[in-house]
Amino acid sequence: MTAAPARLAAVSARPQVGARGSALILLAPALGLCTIFIFIPAVLAIAGSFFTFGITSRVWEPAGLSNYARAFADPVFWIALRNNLIIVLGSIVLQVGFGTILAAILDRGLPRYATVFRTVIFAPMVVSAVAVALIWQVILDPNVGALNAIIKAVGLTPPTLGWLGDPAISIWVILMIACWQYTGFMMVLILAGLQGIPKELYEAASLDGARGLTAFRHITLPSIRNVLIVAVLITTIGGFKVFDLIYATTQGGPANATQVLGTYIYLQAFNLGNMGYANAISVILLGIAVVLGWVQLRVSRRA
Amino acid sequence: MPAFTRARVILYGFVSLWSLLVLLPLLWMVLASFKSRRELFMDPLGLPGEWSGEAFGRAWGVGMGQFLVNSLLATAASVVVIIAVSGMAAYVLARSDAGWTRAIYLLIVAGFAVPVQAVLVPLYQMISGAGMLNNLAAIVLPYAAYGIPFTTVLFFAFFLDFPRELEEAARLDGCSRIRTFFSVILPLSGPAIASAAIFQAVFIWNEFVLALLMLTSPGNKTLPVGIIQLRGEFTADWPAVMAGLSIAVLPILLIFVLAQKYFVRSLAGLGK
Repeated sequence: MTAAPARLAAVSARPQVGARGSALILLAPALGLCTIFIFIPAVLAIAGSFFTFGITSRVWEPAGLSNYARAFADPVFWIALRNNLIIVLGSIVLQVGFGTILAAILDRGLPRYATVFRTVIFAPMVVSAVAVALIWQVILDPNVGALNAIIKAVGLTPPTLGWLGDPAISIWVILMIACWQYTGFMMVLILAGLQGIPKELYEAASLDGARGLTAFRHITLPSIRNVLIVAVLITTIGGFKVFDLIYATTQGGPANATQVLGTYIYLQAFNLGNMGYANAISVILLGIAVVLGWVQLRVSRRA
Repeated sequence: MPAFTRARVILYGFVSLWSLLVLLPLLWMVLASFKSRRELFMDPLGLPGEWSGEAFGRAWGVGMGQFLVNSLLATAASVVVIIAVSGMAAYVLARSDAGWTRAIYLLIVAGFAVPVQAVLVPLYQMISGAGMLNNLAAIVLPYAAYGIPFTTVLFFAFFLDFPRELEEAARLDGCSRIRTFFSVILPLSGPAIASAAIFQAVFIWNEFVLALLMLTSPGNKTLPVGIIQLRGEFTADWPAVMAGLSIAVLPILLIFVLAQKYFVRSLAGLGK
């Protein structure tokens, strides 16, 4: 410890920046990056939603509220919004639901191998959604896919248009793929909450005759209320932001049946060149995300 | 060892079934990449009759190696920037009660709510206007920016609990605030850094939409965009696509299995 003060004293001989000055220097990079890549683009998206312009055009034609009117009159916009809601609600029921069940089993139901199961079930979370999409696309393929081979082997008939090619079922198939990937994440999130419950609570309840499902309902669920709310919020925000999985499997098709806000923004902006219209849909998505983010902040502060 | 009750059999059965559902598609991916195209078409379920590594050669020929390197570079650069920049900001914010720093904290946290899908149009125009398309910086800088809000909150909480004696000793020795941060605080922030780094690395390694927009020339693509290109180049050559996916997926799964404790701890932190 003798060498360090000498070294530090040498440094102090240099002119010092004031307290506020050094605070600003330390804050500047974070503020700068967030401003350039988050806040300015957000403001530009809002501003741009009141204009009409193309990918390369320098001229912005004022459009008033017409981009928003166009969205509300556009059936594909409503399909996209409805699909986002299907993904959100379906994911809450399936991912948070099964995540809670799996977490409860791993927490108290298994005397051995809980870590092995946790590792396996969580694993798809670290794989890119694009890779997951492609793996499933091939598994669900009508010609070479494993699923149809299994279904035919047990004597059933797979859908004639294909799992991802039939507009009546494709969004539900995508929901299943999302659950395959993210249920393990929910499980781990909820498991972290479960492990914070004092074991004495269960012991006391057990003396009163509450075990198994009764203990789960009266001790486990109330204790992880906040974790569950956060899990629902993360799932909701994730459901509104879904893009990779759909872009890589169906690109929003067939006939826009699996379009979501993210893919529709991309389609309007970069395939059709309607940048102003894409911005209007972006602002609607931004509004939803900001409200949900605000709720999440409130909840996690209380937690 | 407790008795194997019926309830326990059901519980083990349920988690085993779920684990099997997770493992089978991954296993099928690996098996399919060792088959010939004909074999995959004739018998999608069976084991490869003759284990052939040719599909891996075809996939590698598309540039999987380059995609891998690009992903590594983009992820490493972004994570380093995120850790340094968020750490600096969080340190100031955690050590100040002034009104203006509170306002800055709230501003940075607000950035967490903006989804990148909602700002694709302006981001693309800004970056193409700056002539930065097909440059790794075109994704590294936005990745860094979008990682800052969450990491700043994480470091903020960590620094609030950080013992102040060390900093005061450094300050008494004439250390500036900036110097204190880099030579005293940062070296002792290992757990927070590891947690933030793993969390961000997983998201950046897998990020797709910005990379799709900004990187269009094959030499610059990262893995998620690269495997889309792979699919495009091999119409109906599914063994090659599966081989490419195996190259992209198996290393990250291996790292995950080896360090699963840290991954789980880091990603479960989102619930806090």
